Amino acid sequence: MFCTYSFFDGKVVTAYSYTTNPMTTTKELWENALVELELTISKPNFNTWFKDTHIVKVEEGTVYLGVPSQFARDWLSTKFHKDILRSLRSLSDTVRSVEYIISRGPKKNTVEEARTVPPPPSELPLESIHQKTNLNPRFTFSSLVVGPFNELAHAAAQAVIRKPGIAYNPLLIYGPTGLGKTHLIQSIGNHFRVTTPDRKVQYMTSEKFSMDYVSSLQAGKVQSFKEKYRQYDLLIMDDVQFLAKMEKTKEEFFHLFNFLHDGNKQLIFTSDQHPNVIQGLEDRMRSRLNAGMIVSVTPPDHESRLAIVRAKATAHNVIMPDEVLEYLATTVEGNVRELEGALNLLLIQFELRNNETLTLNDAKTLLRGAASATKKAVSVQEVVRTISGFYGVEEHSIYEKTRRKEVVRPRQVIMFLLREDFKISFPTIGEKLGGRDHTTVIHSCEKIKNDLRSDSVLSQELSQIRLMLK
Amino acid sequence: MKFETSTTEFLSAVGTATRFVERRANLPVLAGILMVAEGGRLTLRATNLECGVEITVPAKIATEGMVVVPAGVLSGFLNTARGKTVSISLVGEVCKVETERASASIKTLPHEDFPVLPRVSAERSFTAKSADLARAIRSVAYCASLSATKPELQSVLLSADGGKLTAAATDSFRLAEKVVPLRGSASTPQLLVPARNAAELMRILDTAGGEAEIYFNENQLSTHVGTIYYTSRVIDAAFPNYKQIIPKTFATEALVLREDLAVALKSISIFADKFSHVSVSLDPVKKTLTLTSRNPDVGEQVCTLKATISGEPFTMSFNGRYLADSLQSAQGESIKIQANGPGKAILIRDAGDDSFFYLAMPMNR
Repeated sequence: MFCTYSFFDGKVVTAYSYTTNPMTTTKELWENALVELELTISKPNFNTWFKDTHIVKVEEGTVYLGVPSQFARDWLSTKFHKDILRSLRSLSDTVRSVEYIISRGPKKNTVEEARTVPPPPSELPLESIHQKTNLNPRFTFSSLVVGPFNELAHAAAQAVIRKPGIAYNPLLIYGPTGLGKTHLIQSIGNHFRVTTPDRKVQYMTSEKFSMDYVSSLQAGKVQSFKEKYRQYDLLIMDDVQFLAKMEKTKEEFFHLFNFLHDGNKQLIFTSDQHPNVIQGLEDRMRSRLNAGMIVSVTPPDHESRLAIVRAKATAHNVIMPDEVLEYLATTVEGNVRELEGALNLLLIQFELRNNETLTLNDAKTLLRGAASATKKAVSVQEVVRTISGFYGVEEHSIYEKTRRKEVVRPRQVIMFLLREDFKISFPTIGEKLGGRDHTTVIHSCEKIKNDLRSDSVLSQELSQIRLMLK
Repeated sequence: MKFETSTTEFLSAVGTATRFVERRANLPVLAGILMVAEGGRLTLRATNLECGVEITVPAKIATEGMVVVPAGVLSGFLNTARGKTVSISLVGEVCKVETERASASIKTLPHEDFPVLPRVSAERSFTAKSADLARAIRSVAYCASLSATKPELQSVLLSADGGKLTAAATDSFRLAEKVVPLRGSASTPQLLVPARNAAELMRILDTAGGEAEIYFNENQLSTHVGTIYYTSRVIDAAFPNYKQIIPKTFATEALVLREDLAVALKSISIFADKFSHVSVSLDPVKKTLTLTSRNPDVGEQVCTLKATISGEPFTMSFNGRYLADSLQSAQGESIKIQANGPGKAILIRDAGDDSFFYLAMPMNR
């Protein structure tokens, strides 16, 4: 390598003369005046002529305005003098006239000052989302409550950690909202980030992916978009079901998937449904997702809910009476997020009362609104319509006295759901479904309950139906 | 507004004005040329806010008025137009340009936004032959730096004293200085004219001929030559004090024919690597100047010139382009090369003329 010597190594002294004494008050005065002038003068004119202007000094009612060149001085004084004077006068009564001086002003100084001061950290480092990986450090395995509802997903995640890219690739976790899918997949990412920092981990939502792709298309930088995503060793994408609706993004995602999968890079996704029932997903994508591991998370059972509530309360350093927690776990059904919301309600009350222990009655009054909001009224006809549609049988056949196999199963499922989810009495169910005896209904419910223990397809179907009924 | 003028004169005026136009400016009107038909005269004005020009063109004015038209469109149209006269009129917001063969309607820009050119009072000035002044700028301007980090190195220094005008420019790797005679004995401070603006001044002086009086103040410099008024910004900075780095004594001195060296440098550049690296050897015993260049991808070349050499033997590497640049400004038959051993700058001058010198730093491995 060659380099040519410089004559003036360190000897060149730039002698700009600064006649300015930048006071904050004059600075503010001019900034305010500029804001007003910007409104009255066209943008190109404003940008051309008012760039690098500043107030040098104010003496006996005369504002001395520093401008960068004689071009600017001559033009400002002939063309914009009235506007400048008017705006300055409106801001300060003492201004009587304006003079223009050619001066480079404090611009250079401020630039150098800005360079030496490092930008202050805008967020606290602990809680902030990890910049590079986009992971939220709050989501770890230690803060995850494992119960029957998510133990399969948890086990799959552990397997992925032991053998990334080999054990289950891709890993897809699906289930309704608020059951800790994001928590689980981010925990995997955070684990890799801590244990193997050289691995490139990226967490993102499918929406972010799609937006990135669209903006790269607009900027004509599709290639750099591809390169950016193909470098990751572990890609975690939330809510992939949204991609099904976006044609071009879906295609790009398909290629990215193939590239990473071929390179044995671990892929982790979540969605709200099983890929087989996601509308608009192509078969090639569906079969690829099926090739890995698909696990579901279901709404937590009563014990798990209790464990979650207890863990969350402990995390806030609050001890609640067992009966209150029990009540909470019983009344607030459904997803964990709602459970957390209800608990927060109690925690705030607890704090307001100066840490006085809450009684069961307090909890009952406080949670009245929260508990009732979780139930939704659905008519029997609607349930019948949905479920018969789901199984592809004629709606009226449910009410008929037929014992054809393809009708019997849906009918039993309807009865089971009406009893379990909507708490309708056995005789009523029987009456509404074509005047059947209440013992028939009881038998159906028992049958489905028994089948559920061994039949995973049935439980999947039920959770699908429950989603549709929401 | 309506006027008629000679095509050739109008075209040359538009051509000159177009060079002052700023196409990428914030202010769209700066991409245009202002034409003012007033008091029996036609004046063209263009500026990029760094420098500006005003040209008077003889014209037959039917109706007074002013208009701004995009310079690129106007000059593009006129370049292909034939015929003796061109007539221009303003119809609403459209400027009609008609020649014998073709007529064009050009969309205009709002002339209210077109800035005035700064005027410099006649208090302080210096006068020189246009040709001398142009030569001074031409001899040094190529040395100015292209990087915008130091505006003083992007400029050409003009300074008059004791009946002489000194022009200098440097990018801190090489430096050129040229001295030309002045009319009278004006004295000026250091005037730093941006090299781009200086090049335009040079072109105007070349075509104008005669004498040029340059007016100046701390911020602006301007001149009136022939029908052209030119003005440029003067940079508010200090030129490096280069006088102190000019060596006074030399270990080796060589005298070589300028034409020979120019041809040799041209041929040696074929084999130079991407750094234009050329090795120069002066041998006082054999009386030869040897140039060597080597490019691993192309090959190598050795070129030996006869020279008169005194002092110690000398071998050093230079940027070949820097050496070749110096020769375009020297005019005598032979070139004097003065050197001071490894790591020191060499001085190149015209053997018979002390008004020009060129200083180049060696390359370091």
